[in-house]
Amino acid sequence: MTWIEFANLLINGLIEGLVVALPALAMTLVMGVNRFPNAASGDLLTTGAYAAVAVQWLLGWPLWAAALLGAVITAGVSAGAYRLIFRKLAGRPMVASMLAAIGLGFLLRSLISFFAGHDQRTFDLPLVRAWNFGGVRLLPTDLVIAALAAACLAGVFVLIYRTSFGRQLRAVADSADLARASGIRAGGLMISLWLLVGALSAVGGVLLGMKAVVTPDMGWESLIPAFAAMVLGGIGSPVGAVLGALLLGVVQELAVPLLGPSYKLVLAFAVLAGVLLLRPAGLMGRVQLVR
Amino acid sequence: MTAYLLAIGIVALIYCLLALGLNLQFGLTGLVNFGVVAFFAVGAYTSGLLSLQGVPLPLSFAAAAVLAGLLALPIGLLSLRLRDDYLAIVTLGFSEAVRITIQQESWLTQGVQGLPGLPKLFASWGPVSDAAIFAVLLGAVALVAWGTVRLTGSPFGRLLKAIGDDEAALSALGKDPARFKVQVFMLGAALAGLAGAFYAHFITFITPEQFIPLITFYVWMGLIMGGAGSVRGAIFGSLLLMVFLEGSRFAKDWVPGVSEVGMASLRLAAVGLALILITLYRPHGLWGGGKSQ
Amino acid sequence: MMLSVETVTRQFGGFKAVDGVSLQLAEREILGIAGTNGAGKSTLFAAIAGQQPADAGRIRFDGHDITRLPPYRRARLGLVRTFQVPREFKSLSVHQNLLAAAANPQGERLLNAFVRTRSLREHEEQLVAKADGILQFLNLTRVRDKLAGGLSGGQKKLVELGRVLMLDPRCILLDEPFAGVNPVLIDEICERVRELHARGIAFIVIEHHLQALKALSQRMIVMDRGSILAEGDPHTVLDDPRVQEAYMGGVA
Repeated sequence: MTWIEFANLLINGLIEGLVVALPALAMTLVMGVNRFPNAASGDLLTTGAYAAVAVQWLLGWPLWAAALLGAVITAGVSAGAYRLIFRKLAGRPMVASMLAAIGLGFLLRSLISFFAGHDQRTFDLPLVRAWNFGGVRLLPTDLVIAALAAACLAGVFVLIYRTSFGRQLRAVADSADLARASGIRAGGLMISLWLLVGALSAVGGVLLGMKAVVTPDMGWESLIPAFAAMVLGGIGSPVGAVLGALLLGVVQELAVPLLGPSYKLVLAFAVLAGVLLLRPAGLMGRVQLVR
Repeated sequence: MTAYLLAIGIVALIYCLLALGLNLQFGLTGLVNFGVVAFFAVGAYTSGLLSLQGVPLPLSFAAAAVLAGLLALPIGLLSLRLRDDYLAIVTLGFSEAVRITIQQESWLTQGVQGLPGLPKLFASWGPVSDAAIFAVLLGAVALVAWGTVRLTGSPFGRLLKAIGDDEAALSALGKDPARFKVQVFMLGAALAGLAGAFYAHFITFITPEQFIPLITFYVWMGLIMGGAGSVRGAIFGSLLLMVFLEGSRFAKDWVPGVSEVGMASLRLAAVGLALILITLYRPHGLWGGGKSQ
Repeated sequence: MMLSVETVTRQFGGFKAVDGVSLQLAEREILGIAGTNGAGKSTLFAAIAGQQPADAGRIRFDGHDITRLPPYRRARLGLVRTFQVPREFKSLSVHQNLLAAAANPQGERLLNAFVRTRSLREHEEQLVAKADGILQFLNLTRVRDKLAGGLSGGQKKLVELGRVLMLDPRCILLDEPFAGVNPVLIDEICERVRELHARGIAFIVIEHHLQALKALSQRMIVMDRGSILAEGDPHTVLDDPRVQEAYMGGVA
């Protein structure tokens, strides 16, 4: 592999990684606080993308506005799902929450494909020529996507580490009992968390739609990579989720000349299984959470 | 009419086999297997490919079960290190990895084109071949059901239930749950593989697209509706599942102006909704056997 | 020395739940462990029995170094434990709970679910008889075939005791055997422990119920914040001023 090919793959991997980082972060937040993997994360991502598509189509808004409204809608769906479903399942065995999440994912995906069909869609983006630095190519749109993803992640990090909301969230993630004892009201906190999760996933969906295409299966296809990124980075660690996503994105891209593009998901699965086998704590997590 | 009923009956019995396998894994032992369809697929493709090479069906069926069981070994070993939720996602990822691999390795599996023209079971019996398939499947399900009941009442079965109840407590009593978990994983997978073989040689044309996670969750749905942890529950649940699936097929007649594809989406929506409602309102179905994690 | 715990430490992050604890248990001894909440008593048990292996130090049982052994290996050597919150097998009957504990490697083979040779059946019958004997000893015969999940707290604790007895243990770690148990049953449990002790089994008992613990133990240890505060005769050790301060004045 030449340096140029390596550079191109690296750049693409980082950008894809940044996009996957959003649902991965959303998943790790739910994992840390509600202690179950939200298998509907992927389909919330899809919901966000299609919500933006719908807003653009119905109201003719520019993409950024449509995306924002889409995020609001998805946040509502997410919080509603928590309130109606996951909150009730909190005391039960984890399988229940997981099955309900899978069911929710099916429901979202099927309603979307029922109303919007299975055809691929793309966002109306200006067609721009890629910049070429002696063979190393960079699409301006990709740069925008990366910047937006980074900004979004930064915003969430500010929220988690610099606000009282974030502090309470981290307290609950460390120990639900301890948090309750110190008077943190979990109810409203949870709703806020799931609003955040929905919005975050939605933005991820729009960015993924910008980078690639919008299909009803797009989120589901991101589920395993998001999960692998979360595990690689360390469950419950927001920083870990982002690092894991970046690392996974790069590894996946670098493997394409070897395995072909279709095997990306299989590679994500292999990383997932490998990490859980060899170093369950991931890069930055705590081991106790796995067994 | 009879042809139609026979066909549903056959599919129902195939789901029974799948449910009985999952019941051993989850209903008894508490292993959350979200990758059932992977072993179903491996069974179908193994038997299909072998039969196309001229291997007689009884042998290809046996190979299907054995290979599916062997494939479960690495997953079983992995399950030893994983808590419920991680095992669930890992098995889910595994089933997608299997499907993609089948799709990609077209030199072996003919990829997306699938395997058409598989020999149908009892093809030489002409008009009564479906009835014959139904009869054999019924026998198989009865045999597996008997075997499961026998297993459940045995010391091995007792340990499976103990593991499902409280693995750490069993460990504190001097028994390593590992061996049992792996074995039951493989056994359940072998049953799924056998079901796959029956499926392949009934519909005679298999493609990777048929082996999607939705199938796994059909089986879960059936198991929970009937009540996880008992053979009766597994079988009853599979029948309920068939009523649900076939019923939704007829719903097309009540919902005007909806295309085939649209109907498939609505069917998926119904499954999703059913999963949500079942977990919310039929919790006992999830641990009929008394799982307490 | 039957059990030797040498400067064992168990920590979570920076917090040392058990901090360099050492203790010895002689053959046929009943050792009581008392202490405030969060003193590290259960964590110590978890380190000895293996659920939470020690981060530092060494544990020897019957001459074997068990520090790194998984729990099931330690149990096979004769070192067993019960749990603070009973962990009965809910979906099995009381009798089946005991049978599940019994060593039956041949019978528990997958193949042997279908092939029942005569020797296997005979072995099973022996185990059934043994379990019945233990149930009688523990006065649980009435509930023999009842699902263990439906018993009272005290009865569940007796089932746990019955289970470990199926292993013919040398040393039993009892974690708060009287917690949540009605007073009549407490006396009964004490009686059983004494009878088992007379048969040669050593015990370490964690309890908050100091009256019962004093009456039962031959020697007592008091823990506080991960370390041993005092050690000695059960009737005098609690009067030690340091113990008094920890229990009364200090933060629980």
